[in-house]
Amino acid sequence: MTTDLLRGHLDRLLLSVLAEAPGHGYELSRRLTKRSGGQLEAPEGSLYPALHRLERGRLVASAWDAGDGRRRRVYRLTASGRREVRRSRQEWRAFSSAVNRVLG
Amino acid sequence: MRGGARRRFLRECRDHLTAAAAARGEAEAVRAFGDPAEIAAAFDAEMAARRGVRSTFLAVAGVLATGGSTLALIHSASAGATAPAPWAVVFFVAAQVAAVAAALALVQALVLRRASMAAADVALLARRNGCALLASGLAIFAAGAALPGQGSALLLLAGPALVCVALVAVLRARSLARRMPGGGAVAVRSPLADLRHLTGLAVPALGARRLLLLTTCIAAAAAFVRDRAEQATVGGAFVTAGIEATAVVVCFVALGRALGIWRSA
Repeated sequence: MTTDLLRGHLDRLLLSVLAEAPGHGYELSRRLTKRSGGQLEAPEGSLYPALHRLERGRLVASAWDAGDGRRRRVYRLTASGRREVRRSRQEWRAFSSAVNRVLG
Repeated sequence: MRGGARRRFLRECRDHLTAAAAARGEAEAVRAFGDPAEIAAAFDAEMAARRGVRSTFLAVAGVLATGGSTLALIHSASAGATAPAPWAVVFFVAAQVAAVAAALALVQALVLRRASMAAADVALLARRNGCALLASGLAIFAAGAALPGQGSALLLLAGPALVCVALVAVLRARSLARRMPGGGAVAVRSPLADLRHLTGLAVPALGARRLLLLTTCIAAAAAFVRDRAEQATVGGAFVTAGIEATAVVVCFVALGRALGIWRSA
């Protein structure tokens, strides 16, 4: 899928992979690629401005973590973020269903 | 970009590249990371948006605090002091401009607080905030010039001090926005569309002229009712309503473009 197509959906995709479990940026990019069967490969560096934007909107929170001996910024969903994931999934189902009906 | 945000961003990028290089090799890690210039531009845009939203909350707090300081100043005025008419007009106009500009900025910031923000939108936010802060400063200056008296320095200076702090934050956001591509463009945002987006209510869409007509009528009616409630004569209340309507039209024409309410043809 082209980067342009992906760009408009990056925030909701990140929220969705964060709904599985908290994670750092590299881990989230791996999850995104894996869950899409390798179809969605955004430039990995673009995840960070998006994560900062989600944090500005209080949808995710982050903290430094040194669990495996390396200090990394770990992101997790907030309560608002979980609500946004549910809302976003419903919206996407309605949208994709409508587009499918048109495209056939 | 300087400071803690930059350090954190660079640290995260470095951690990411280190982990990716260990898993897939350095060349593939760098390729998959993407164009550094594009990523830096996206980060700049995010920082500008963050500064814009934060400076808006600070500006609104500054305007409210200055309102409080102005009330303290009015209450501490000498007994029987009467404000000269020109200062009174400046005070009322400046106070209303401050309130309207702060409300416009706050609604815009709340609508865009979770979204990407174009540089022109950050610049517009900065103009709205700057206008609100300058007008609130002018309002308290006019009140102070018109009404001699003595009051608590802490109460009187708290508002203007917060306005100065907020102004620095607004200028920083504006400076970053203007360095970004598109930062010099003039953005127009309908306040009613923003309100509809924010509240989910069926707020009607109005063009600039109809918005001006509606605002002028409401402001004039409110001025008339307020004057009558303060025992003014019907004639006097009509004069006040006329002054109010004129002020609304003049401010709309003079400031509307800068505040992103209308665009010149």
